[in-house]
Amino acid sequence: MVLILALPPAALSGQQAQSASSQSSRYQAPVISDTGALKGPRQPIFFRHDIHAGQDQIPCMYCHYSASISSEPGIPSLQTCIGCHQLIGGTTPAHQAEIKKVRDAWRERKPPEWIRVHALPGFVRFPHMRHIKALGTTACVTCHGDVQKMAQVAQVSTLRMGWCVSCHVKNNVTRDCSVCHY
Amino acid sequence: MTDSIDRRRFLKVLGVTSAGAAAVTACGIGPEPTERLIPYLVQPEDQIPGTATYYATTCRECAAGCGVRVRVREGRAVKLEGNPDSPINRGRLCARGQAALQGLYNPDRISHPLVRNASGTFEAIDWDGALLRLSAKVREAQGKGIVFLTGAEQSTFGDLVDEWMKQVGGRRMSYEAFGFEALRAGNRMAFGTATLPSYDFANAKYVLSFGADFLDTWLSPVEFQNGFSRAHAFDAGRPASMAKFVYVGPRLSLTGMNADEWIAARPGTEGTLALAMAQVIMSQHLARVPADASRLVSVLGAHRPSAVAQAIGIDEATIVRLAREFARSGGGLAVAGGMATQGANGAATVAAVNILNYVVGAVGTLVKFGADLAIGSTNSFAELATLTSDMAAGRVALLFVHGTNPAHSLPGAFQQALDKVAYKVSFSSYLDETAAACDLILPDHHPLEQWGASRPRAGITALQQPVVQPVFDTRPTGDVILKLAGKAGTFEEYFKGKVGPRVQNNADQFWLEKLALGGIYGTAPTRAVRLATDLSAVAPSLEKTSGPAGVEEQTVVVFPHPALHDGRGANKPWLQELPDPVSKIAWHSWVEVHPDTAAKWGLATGDFLLLKSPFGAQKFPTWITPSVRPDVLAVPTGQGHTAYGRYAKDRSANAFELLGAQATAYGGRAFIVSASATKTAEHQRKLATIEGNARDLGMGTTEVLPLARAKALRPGDHPFHFEETPEYAKDAVEWWAERQHEQAEIGNYKGEQPRWGLAIDLSKCTGCSACVTACYAENNIPTVGEELTERRREMAWLRLERYWRVDEHDNVQGAVSQPMLCQQCGNAPCEPVCPVFAAYHTPDGLNGQVYNRCVGTRYCSNNCPYKVRYFNWYNYAERDGKYEAFPEPLSMLLNPDVTVREKGVMEKCTFCVQRIRGAQNQARLENRNVRDGDIVTACQQTCPSEAIVFGDLNDRHSRVFELAGNPRGYHVLAGLNTKPAITYLARVVAQDTTSHG
Repeated sequence: MVLILALPPAALSGQQAQSASSQSSRYQAPVISDTGALKGPRQPIFFRHDIHAGQDQIPCMYCHYSASISSEPGIPSLQTCIGCHQLIGGTTPAHQAEIKKVRDAWRERKPPEWIRVHALPGFVRFPHMRHIKALGTTACVTCHGDVQKMAQVAQVSTLRMGWCVSCHVKNNVTRDCSVCHY
Repeated sequence: MTDSIDRRRFLKVLGVTSAGAAAVTACGIGPEPTERLIPYLVQPEDQIPGTATYYATTCRECAAGCGVRVRVREGRAVKLEGNPDSPINRGRLCARGQAALQGLYNPDRISHPLVRNASGTFEAIDWDGALLRLSAKVREAQGKGIVFLTGAEQSTFGDLVDEWMKQVGGRRMSYEAFGFEALRAGNRMAFGTATLPSYDFANAKYVLSFGADFLDTWLSPVEFQNGFSRAHAFDAGRPASMAKFVYVGPRLSLTGMNADEWIAARPGTEGTLALAMAQVIMSQHLARVPADASRLVSVLGAHRPSAVAQAIGIDEATIVRLAREFARSGGGLAVAGGMATQGANGAATVAAVNILNYVVGAVGTLVKFGADLAIGSTNSFAELATLTSDMAAGRVALLFVHGTNPAHSLPGAFQQALDKVAYKVSFSSYLDETAAACDLILPDHHPLEQWGASRPRAGITALQQPVVQPVFDTRPTGDVILKLAGKAGTFEEYFKGKVGPRVQNNADQFWLEKLALGGIYGTAPTRAVRLATDLSAVAPSLEKTSGPAGVEEQTVVVFPHPALHDGRGANKPWLQELPDPVSKIAWHSWVEVHPDTAAKWGLATGDFLLLKSPFGAQKFPTWITPSVRPDVLAVPTGQGHTAYGRYAKDRSANAFELLGAQATAYGGRAFIVSASATKTAEHQRKLATIEGNARDLGMGTTEVLPLARAKALRPGDHPFHFEETPEYAKDAVEWWAERQHEQAEIGNYKGEQPRWGLAIDLSKCTGCSACVTACYAENNIPTVGEELTERRREMAWLRLERYWRVDEHDNVQGAVSQPMLCQQCGNAPCEPVCPVFAAYHTPDGLNGQVYNRCVGTRYCSNNCPYKVRYFNWYNYAERDGKYEAFPEPLSMLLNPDVTVREKGVMEKCTFCVQRIRGAQNQARLENRNVRDGDIVTACQQTCPSEAIVFGDLNDRHSRVFELAGNPRGYHVLAGLNTKPAITYLARVVAQDTTSHG
């Protein structure tokens, strides 16, 4: 069993903390034996969203803290990781090996260099906070897919302009070019 | 594989696939290189990625001490703005301040300590080794002459240096190339105090400048421009009024250009004119003269207009008229400086102008002593000349240089004297001429990277704090000195100890408050001054010591370049590319020649003129202009560096070479010399200028109203001629655009939208060009360099056009400056001709330009009547490209909110759409509408005159709506029916009968 501590969320909004009594319907992240079969780029540390966001139900904005106030969603600092993992060492050898990488990085003061998965070209401005404001703080899955079930994050939406515009049309919001291109 | 595929191509394809595999799957849009996300180790509390944090500090580009707020994005400084809390600049900033960023991220910054090795070249050395070496040198040199030379440094750092020098038995000296010695000496002559007062331009009712360039280089330009704008801009209140501005000088500087009247008195006679005016005022009882002014009668007696008119070159009637206007205004302010005080009789000229002020009661009201401006505390040029001779005689064993470059402004004498100094240490951040001659370089932090406190004037402590981590392996010189002095602690602790609260228990709170404000702001009490007892030296001598000696000799005036100043701005490409406000020339120097003189000598524009003074010779390309006296030639300083980085080195000519090293009687330097001028055989050069035509040619681009006419305007008046549409075209012209817009009201275009617009008041715009540099900084505009500027491929989205204003005798009286930028036309000619809809009309009234759609046909720029669209002919952002505009680390100042354009893309002013969207996003987060004043464009924010106002033209309560309806308002080229969103308010000129010397 994974040790559950009282986690003080940095930017909790909209999501309710799950109580332990709903354990029966809780998602259990599977054991991954073949990482080569997973979609998405291989990251320096095998960070599993399905364990953290899915099984442990950590809200997206605990780590990606600026998504509701800034264009950038924010990648969590190593301090955020170490906050739990100074105590949580992992139960299986696979988990322990990855968590050891986190602790080594903290000790050596060298944060991991994550491979970016979702990137827009330099001529597009995407304001995260406008979309969170319009669609809510649980709407991350709309564009990023079911991250809570992903062992390794992969891009599932094309992120091409036509895909953006079709959602704008559906929701009857602006299609003006100069809102995103400047 | 039946197609024969040659090995080379196969390997190329293979190479792309294997390296790019991760990239292609990762982003799925195109072959972009894989990006990495590197998180913080510990998240800083005050930084949110994607949003900016602002820090208050002080600009150190000149001695004025304006407060700045620096916008920092992810640890990089990307924009400087004025600090609204500073009483000096009140939230405004000049071009030099904006360009401070290019000093911070300059590619030619010295990145670590350097020591001169045995073969005479510089090699790297570590800090500890350097300091060990230096400590030994200090011990060696004690008793043999130690001098620490700084710039204007009335600051805690200066105090530390003073302390240390006392400790080692040395002395500190401060040197500024333009040190205002004449002002100080003249103040002592007239009032017995050699300090510099504060000048209240805002409350003046008549401004009379004797050469003082208070809008560009005199004392505190941003502050004075702001105050001057309040007084001089047309105030349509009841009663409508404006302060008249008269400029006396041999050439029109940026300041002179803004005058309502130009009195081109003979160089050196400005003081005589002032005394003549004072004589008229006293003899005709035109003002309530202070009691002790009766002592002036004898001095003034010799200055009756009839006696001096011929010497000055102005007719008597004009002198009397000026005196009457000045006195009767009830708030006359006379200032002296610049070219009028750079001759042999400079101090006496200042004293004469002081008397003029005294006689109308301006001293104590508009001219307040007690301010003690820092620039007035430097050593005089005479004292530096003494130092130079001490150095040459071997009486200085150890010289430190910090924040000043005397080897550039004193090329002969100081360079030679430097050779005789046993050991020379520089703290310069750049390899300028002085540093290049030194033995050890311990590069200082840039002012934006370090702590400090300076006192630009009494009552104000301007605080500096680091806004970014140091870019290179530099150290604050304060720390270095403390180490050498054997004291513990850092400079931060030292300065906080000196400036902080006496009681330490609330120190943290104190610092939080004061650093956020950017300073400790108080007012110094005004010191009352009386006329000096001995006024015998006041009358300026008319002896032509500064005039031509022989028939072949010309009077050459050397003036400070408004952007490059004494040369310190030459390593910043934004300042090099900034066209000089008067000549519109960028990247090189010039010599100003009157058309009559040019005709006499057979000179054409661009011909090189060799100027040979008794002290040196330099060649300058000719710029023919009516804005200089026919018997005067004028050359700017700033160029002609022999070191100082890629943008400054070996460029054009150094005007300081023409000047002598001898001090004048009042301890200053003579910037007016006699020189012979010969046309050289060298081929003509094409001037790197952005100017089209210097005359408005009746196009209606600039409108000027005489004051009487402006006063008579009522709301609803249309004083400007605009073409009436002929009957047969009425439908087409007036209805067509409306019909188009009605039919286009679908989707986003339906309903109430803002219509963004600007109002630019030409009565306030002085042409200072701060807006141009601010636009470069905000919008990632590339600098193209000298060659491309010559080919008219400049990229500035906002240009200042300067049109001469002539009187009925066709004599130049001044100029009108007009900012020209994309007019965001309601009926834009550029929109229908774009084949790919890259140029289109946005629902909120902007003329949008979508960079990624643009294919580069350039039809839009062809169709634009204002010619405000700029094409990226080259890839200016390409690393190591031929026309690279942002060599590392200059790319760090790029604004992440604005796309960096590639080759083949058209660009133009967007009304700072990133700020509009930013404000809209913020408003949406806060569940409110955008308010008037939320959105401030970069040009508006920096303008020291507050000439630009941005807002929503569809909001009847907005400032811009009110200004757009002003009867002085007009559109440029209105007859073309482009329906621009920019309303210009006509320049108002306090015209009277004019005169020309």
